[in-house]
Amino acid sequence: MNSLLKFLEKYHFLLLFLLLEGFSIWLLANNNYYQKASFGKISRGLISVIDNQLSNMSQYLRFKQANIELVVENIALRNEIAQLKNKLERNQPNRVDSIGGAKYTYSTARIINNSINRQNNYITLNTGSAEGVSREMGVITKNGVVGVTAAVTRNFSTVISLLNINLKISAKHRRSGTFGSLYWDGIDYRRVILSEIPQHVSLTQGDTIVTSGYSSMFPPDIPIGIVDEFELKGGSFYEIKVKLLADFKQLDNVYIVKYYQAWERNQLENQKQNE
Amino acid sequence: MSKQLTRYALIFISLLAIQLLVLNNIRLGGYINPYIYILFIMLLPFEIKGWLLLVFGFVTGLTMDAFSGTLGMHSSATLFIAFLRPYILSYISTHATTDKKGRPTMSMTDLAWFIRYTVFIVLAHHFILFYLEAFSFSHFFHTLLRVILSSIVTTFFILLGQLLFIRD
Repeated sequence: MNSLLKFLEKYHFLLLFLLLEGFSIWLLANNNYYQKASFGKISRGLISVIDNQLSNMSQYLRFKQANIELVVENIALRNEIAQLKNKLERNQPNRVDSIGGAKYTYSTARIINNSINRQNNYITLNTGSAEGVSREMGVITKNGVVGVTAAVTRNFSTVISLLNINLKISAKHRRSGTFGSLYWDGIDYRRVILSEIPQHVSLTQGDTIVTSGYSSMFPPDIPIGIVDEFELKGGSFYEIKVKLLADFKQLDNVYIVKYYQAWERNQLENQKQNE
Repeated sequence: MSKQLTRYALIFISLLAIQLLVLNNIRLGGYINPYIYILFIMLLPFEIKGWLLLVFGFVTGLTMDAFSGTLGMHSSATLFIAFLRPYILSYISTHATTDKKGRPTMSMTDLAWFIRYTVFIVLAHHFILFYLEAFSFSHFFHTLLRVILSSIVTTFFILLGQLLFIRD
């Protein structure tokens, strides 16, 4: 007993270090990114309030540019609405549905905190569950995919950025329709990797990569980027470097995608897996 | 004693505020993130008890983690430099600093010594932090580049901060 105490006394510095370091590594390794995002939730609530103020101030500087972008987008959307209305009236004259039968609806949000220089980047938005945001909803801009919502509080939500080495989404090569998984390798904030595209697909530089619609988070055919470089990895699959269309340094206003049938679809797909 | 406590509390809060509100929001090419909050660990008194140093390291890191959603990452790295600090101090000790009491700041020690002290601590911290963040050695040299570039910027900011603000 005495010698144990002596041992503890002699090595307490090293032992305490090993104990705490072990605990830290355990925390790091045993929490997935959703849990980590929720851990920061309480403290981030406080930070978000401050970020919101800062963002309010800096937004004035971008008003002119933002206005031009919004006007251009409005025109495009108006045109689309007109076309769709026309189509709808011709095809389904008697359909009654409060959201017009749309599978997806979009709500807007503003980015109040964003990072691109870590390996696990997160974005904070100024909307939360009060406006109907919940976990695992897709977030896009007019230029493409931004990420997926993670933790949601009443007035704020965090988004796992596409620039997060843990996020993988399903994407396809638009011209050929083949799909693969898209992820960030943590190197360049302007480029992501699309893998699992088979060898027989003919690729050219500049081809468009879009979402596949195979997950319940993003509607199909949302643009992500264009093919920049590609090479064969492991014999039969291409690894494609995709140049992102959205500039993650300049993100400001985004859309949150709400998929109405997500619950029903996930239910069915999980059931299939369990059997 | 209580005066010293207040001073450290102020240093702690202001360093974390600068880190979280300013430095975490600057993005230099996706490669460089300066982390100056470790200055708190560097500035603790020479004669601090070992276990207290470790606890401070862990708590400082955990606070950073709590505010940036990176559970365990900053606490591992900051704890590591708290552990290394006594060894680094004895390794780089000179006649001027061996029997010193008080805090290892720039004003009481000479500049070259303080720069060496900063570089050792910052490199150790950033090395652990960035490799834990990547959680693999698959982009070894890319991560190493981030470590080195960020260390240079952090060192610069720490020295600048010492020159401008902290005076005895």
